[in-house]
Amino acid sequence: MTPVDDSTGAGGAAETPRLLVRRLSKRYGNVQALAEVDFELRAGEVMALLGENGAGKSTLVKVLSGLVQPDSGTIEIDGVARDLYPSARSQASGVAVVHQEYSSVPTLTVAENLVLGQTGVSPLWLPGRLKARARTLLDAVGLDHINPGTLVERLSVAEMQLLEIARLLVRDSKILIFDEPTAALADREIERVLGVTKRLASEGRSVIYVTHRLPEVFRIADRVTVFRNGRSLPARSTRDLDVDAVITMMLGRELQTMFPKRGTARAETLLEIEGLQAPGLSEPVSFNVRAGEIVGLTGQLGSGASTVVEALAGMATLQAGRARLDGQDISLKSRSATLKRGIAYCSADRKRDGTFAVRSIRENLSSPWIRAVARAGWISARGERDRSSDIARRFTIDVKRMATAVGALSGGNQQKVAVGKWLGAAPRIMLLEEPTRGVDVGARAEIYQHLRDLCAAGLGIVIASSDTAEVLGLCDTIATFYRGRVTALKPHHEWSEDALVREVMHQEAA
Amino acid sequence: MSAETSAASPAVALPRHRPDWLLPLLVLGPAAAGIIIAIIVTPTFLTSSNILAVVRNASTIGIVAVAMTPMTLSGNFVSLGIAQTAMASMVSFVALLGSGWNQALAIIVVLIGTIAVGGFQGAVVGAGFNPVITTMAAGAIIFGVVSEITRGQIVNVNEHGASWGGGDIGGVPIVVIVFVVFTAIVTLVMSRTVIGRQTILVGANRATAETSGISFARVTVVAFVIFSIGIAIVGILEGAAFGEANAMSFANLTISVIAALLVGGTAISGGQGSPLRSAAGALLISVISNMMVLNDFTPGGRLAVQGAVVAAAVVILDMFRRRGLRR
Repeated sequence: MTPVDDSTGAGGAAETPRLLVRRLSKRYGNVQALAEVDFELRAGEVMALLGENGAGKSTLVKVLSGLVQPDSGTIEIDGVARDLYPSARSQASGVAVVHQEYSSVPTLTVAENLVLGQTGVSPLWLPGRLKARARTLLDAVGLDHINPGTLVERLSVAEMQLLEIARLLVRDSKILIFDEPTAALADREIERVLGVTKRLASEGRSVIYVTHRLPEVFRIADRVTVFRNGRSLPARSTRDLDVDAVITMMLGRELQTMFPKRGTARAETLLEIEGLQAPGLSEPVSFNVRAGEIVGLTGQLGSGASTVVEALAGMATLQAGRARLDGQDISLKSRSATLKRGIAYCSADRKRDGTFAVRSIRENLSSPWIRAVARAGWISARGERDRSSDIARRFTIDVKRMATAVGALSGGNQQKVAVGKWLGAAPRIMLLEEPTRGVDVGARAEIYQHLRDLCAAGLGIVIASSDTAEVLGLCDTIATFYRGRVTALKPHHEWSEDALVREVMHQEAA
Repeated sequence: MSAETSAASPAVALPRHRPDWLLPLLVLGPAAAGIIIAIIVTPTFLTSSNILAVVRNASTIGIVAVAMTPMTLSGNFVSLGIAQTAMASMVSFVALLGSGWNQALAIIVVLIGTIAVGGFQGAVVGAGFNPVITTMAAGAIIFGVVSEITRGQIVNVNEHGASWGGGDIGGVPIVVIVFVVFTAIVTLVMSRTVIGRQTILVGANRATAETSGISFARVTVVAFVIFSIGIAIVGILEGAAFGEANAMSFANLTISVIAALLVGGTAISGGQGSPLRSAAGALLISVISNMMVLNDFTPGGRLAVQGAVVAAAVVILDMFRRRGLRR
């Protein structure tokens, strides 16, 4: 046996680690998601796993939960080499994951949810027996005030999160992975999740705690492992670190080559947003977009940045506020109303509502502007072909493959189709959420360049992104969001990456 | 030593180009082969009177299957009120002729009435109600109303004879001519017009259609109107062929039409398929069912085989589509 990384702080030094990952690699197409990472987790410890978006955290979580098969590397649990793929094997090895999305069934009771998917439970759901069983589990996660007969849809978000944890306890897992468990929670609720996490560790379970919120790290984690660009840094004891040191460890990505040169935004204001209010925003939001400018809205999950973009697209229920394009009031009531005024929109999830996967590239590209190449309702095949080929050339999509179904393309090419299709509709404003999520490095640089080219043509662009490096590298003006309100709005040259990361984490990091 | 020796190849799967003709061929190919074998063992199939009967039957099923294709393409599944609506059109056409109406006027009134009934269902579905439940309920209401009015009796044209529905022009049955022309028109509408393209896109992904500014409600109403036109045509043609009708007319039409559409290769979830394929499916279904009649299958046996053919087609197509898109 080779000796383990021994730069670690206190704790049982010589004992066999609960989990030992060595030289683990995983590649997706052109993207090296994990490059020979090492990771160690001891019995009864809380290990924080930190890193920026795309650093490889979620890939490691996927490998450990058996959703993804690594290309190379070894995984040992309690000194025994294990293959954790597929997920049934991972569960059998004692690994359990609490995801950001909840998997409870809202129309069943708490007690019923606690037996769902569990083995060794009698198929006869006798209410009395279920309740007795639920009681002990609920007490263990601090849900002692919840009646097991309550329907899950009546629980608060935090309670659902704790219920997810309770469901894992049934399996008696040794290794618990919490994937941003507090992302959607309010402060008081976070306390409860942290308390339960600590208790579970004190009972001898090991916890991997993935988060973006640094204060939580210092409250509950024994040690910290930072991922950067798919590589792991050696684990450090929390006691030897402070917030600054952790941020420094997380940053340091190469930014220079990825982003195109900024142009000069024109003086005239294209879009004015005043007092915008929608569900998910705690304060009215106001800002302006000039022609040729890229405005970046950034924040953590649920911060409200995406809500603003969705409201401008006409996809959210607007409670108050007005928007003016070229000084004229425009309605944000429906998507077709905003589309008529030249507002293009690409959501964060191109599979869900950005592309028609089973249809060809050409049909996807022409979908927003097919009327423009039709006369009396009849499509001009030539008009459609010429205009879509023109877009394809400008967005470097292979013109010879225009009949290929979009679902068969790589993530980067799909995104080029999802963004590029709007060019034919002569947009004035382009709205994008997470414009490069799931897009490989090469295609990212291309998409950034295309967006800049659109600016040069006089468009105004608004981006909502949780990737601070992207926002800083690409945008001209940057607004940070925290819990549904704007916390800072400044031109890009007044931001540093360090300041931006701090602002996104807000007072938490202070 | 290492437990993770899986040398997974990097996932640089090149998108495969799937030719458009392959999908229909995959279903129609084996079916055609089966039919050729069946023809060899069933000598009576190739008599001219039998072939005429098959083609007539295929045309009736085909007109409705083609008319329903836009509805399925738009992601609104199928109508479960096919037989009832066709029956209502036929009964009202026959009844109007029987009370001495001018033929052209009767045709126009039946067309408008059927479109109104279908368009209303389209508006309901377009507003977000479940298409299966809406069309099933509408079918039940239509059937109930017609049975109540006719009191289960046969309605006929009395002395105002009209038998052109069963006639032919230059040896080609009128119903076949109508089938060919109608299929051509609907195919053109689906492939060459804005509303046709939007129908397919809504079926391919309703959420993306919404962000692209395509109206689901409008597409749905148009699809239901096209469906109603096809239904009215069949009701009128059959009425003009037989001169009498009752509430039990078209009893087996629903299953045959759905079978034709699915065997043709239109995806039940929408977004893929064409009216032309449904027409081919109708031909195939008619040939199979005729072959079974000639070989003395019981009505129950025929229905069972038809069901099995539909199930097989759906499974094969689904497997094929999944593989086509997996990366």
